[in-house]
This record gives sequence, structure tokens and C-alpha cells, in this order.
Amino acid sequence: MKRNGLVFIALCVAIIGMVVSGKYLNRVRSRNHNAVIGDVRGKLAPDFELTSLDGKRVKLSDYRGKAVLLNFWATWCSPCKVEMPWFVDLQKKYGNDGLVVLGVAMDDSDSSKIAQFASEMGVNYPVLLGTDKISEEYGNVEFLPTSFYIDREGRFVGKGVGLLARREIEGNVQKALASRVVGISGPEEPPVGQAAGRQTTAQ
Amino acid sequence: MMRLRFLIAFAAALLSWASAQEPGTVVPSIEFAPVGKVQIKPGGSKSVPLDFRIAKEFHVNSNKPHSELLIPTALNIPAAQMFKAGIPVGVASLQYPVGEDVSFPFAPGEKLSVYSGDFSITAVVKASPKATAGEYPVSGELRFQACDRSACYPPKSIPVKFTVSVSGK
Repeated sequence: MKRNGLVFIALCVAIIGMVVSGKYLNRVRSRNHNAVIGDVRGKLAPDFELTSLDGKRVKLSDYRGKAVLLNFWATWCSPCKVEMPWFVDLQKKYGNDGLVVLGVAMDDSDSSKIAQFASEMGVNYPVLLGTDKISEEYGNVEFLPTSFYIDREGRFVGKGVGLLARREIEGNVQKALASRVVGISGPEEPPVGQAAGRQTTAQ
Repeated sequence: MMRLRFLIAFAAALLSWASAQEPGTVVPSIEFAPVGKVQIKPGGSKSVPLDFRIAKEFHVNSNKPHSELLIPTALNIPAAQMFKAGIPVGVASLQYPVGEDVSFPFAPGEKLSVYSGDFSITAVVKASPKATAGEYPVSGELRFQACDRSACYPPKSIPVKFTVSVSGK
């Protein structure tokens, strides 16, 4: 009878162990593309070097001292289209305060189609051609749109997966702008000539 | 007996907790329903319904989306399995269902032509009059690009296979 009790307890422990470890492993496997706002906060954003639509090489570190809204999108992503005019407005509204919006196009199609689309959308910020490498480095970006909000020191202040409300996006932008960089007297100028349709027009 | 019941209930509760999805973690999927063996005579043809089920909460573009930027759902059959002269058995044509025009919260002013839930593509299979009796596998890929109400997912493909059995004359 005592032995039966021990077997029963051992079975319970084994079931709990299997289920919890399965859940944990599943979470670890998908953590990178599961992350919701807050999971990445405070971490240093991985530097990257991508090609812009006009052929320039662009690094995230080029924008140290600026707040960066890094938006992963694609031409086939309808929700992404909704955000783009908001980003255009935000770039105009906060450009002088040090905001830089960077679009990362995750299309497989050629860059001329992406450029045409960006131009039609009135995009006034640099559009970069996404790669598998940047997707992996930013946690396997599978869900589009996905945006990262990076402060002036290059640290994440937030992440948004899927279409967010404009006020949430603007709130994250304001958080990114609120940071100050120690040892840098003022925001650096962004590299010129990287805008998709036209140059950044923030006034 | 009491302990066994408790153990089963306990395990069921744990499994239910373990299988609960976290928000934003569900990856879209389409399931292809297996097709029974398609019987056909030499020189004959048959319409084969290929049934697909899209995971709940997701939709895919129809075969004729309203924008050329959107990726259509398409069944790609290799040229070697399309029916033409010299091919004993092959797919002569594909018939896609008409998409449903739906507005989504992310673009209330726009209607997208989509499939959601279950949909069926009809493959018209033909056998040459000279086709010999036997089994002929047909395989292709369904390419789709899925979205839910707030996000989209990269294009994916799933294998589609069935077997055509040509009977003797």
C-alpha cells in the first residue's frame, strides 16, 4: 500500500516534469519571435549594416544619439500599409527632436518594386532591404509589422508586434526620444541620401 | 481507483494549461485533407476536389487578390505533371474558388479578396488514351500568405499529393 502511494507520487512528479519542461522548451524555442513589448527593454539593439534603396550601406550605429523607430514591413502586408502614413507624420513631427524612422523591407521582390511602393506611400524616411540575418538578430521577425523602438544610446525601449494603435506607437517614440546620451553633445546628423522616395523632410 | 481518477484529471488539467497559446505566438497553418485514390480510365478525365482548412483566426489571399502586391494563393504543379502530349496522366487545369470580399479592422475602407476556414481547389486530371494501367502520383505545392486581424506572415508552401490510378481498358 505504501509502495502504491510512492508510485502515485512519482507518476505525478513525472507528469508535472514532462509538461513543465515541454512548455519551457517551447517557450525558449519561440521566445525570439514571441516577444511582446517589454521583453527586450533595456537590451542593446544589435548593430546591423543593410543596403538602402539607393544603394548606400547603412548601420544602426550611424544613428547613435538619435531615437530610432525600426519598422519591419513588406509590400504584401496590408496592416503595414496602415502604419506607414503614421510613420511619415511621426518623422515630420519628431524629426527635429532626433527621431529617425528606418523601414526594413522584408520582401523577396526586387528593390525597384519596393521603391515604387514606398514612393506611392509618400515615405519620407530611409527604407533598407531586409535580410535573413537581421531577422535572426532581431529575434526571427516573422510577424509583420514588427517595430522596435530604440533610444539614443542604442537600447530597446519597446517592441510592437502587429498593428498597434497610433497613440501606442507615438508613446513608444516619445519614450525613445526621452533618453539622453552621456558624452554626446547633440544628436548626430543622419547619413544623407538614404530616403526611399525623397530625403527626410523633418523640419 | 480514486487516485487513478485524480491522476487522469490532474494530467488533463496540466495538458490543457500546456497547450494554451500565448498571444501572438500562433503561427498560421493550412491543412490539406488527404485525397482518396483517384480512379480514371485511359482517355478519361476527372475533377478532383483538393480540400484545405485554414487555421482559425487567419485568412489567406484568394487566387485573385485585388492588388498585384498581394501574394495569391496558388497550387503550383510541376510542368512535368501538367497534362500535355506525351504525358500519360497529368493535371489539365485548376479551378480556384472565388474569394470572399472582406474588410478588416486594419483597413476598414478596403476590401480584400480572401479565403478563410475551408476552401477547395479543383484539379481536373486527365489520362491519355495511351496511358497504361497503374498508379501515377501527382504532387505540387500550395503557396499562400496568411494574415490575421493585425499581422501578416511570410509566404509559405505546403506539399499537396495524391495518386491517380489508371484502370485497364
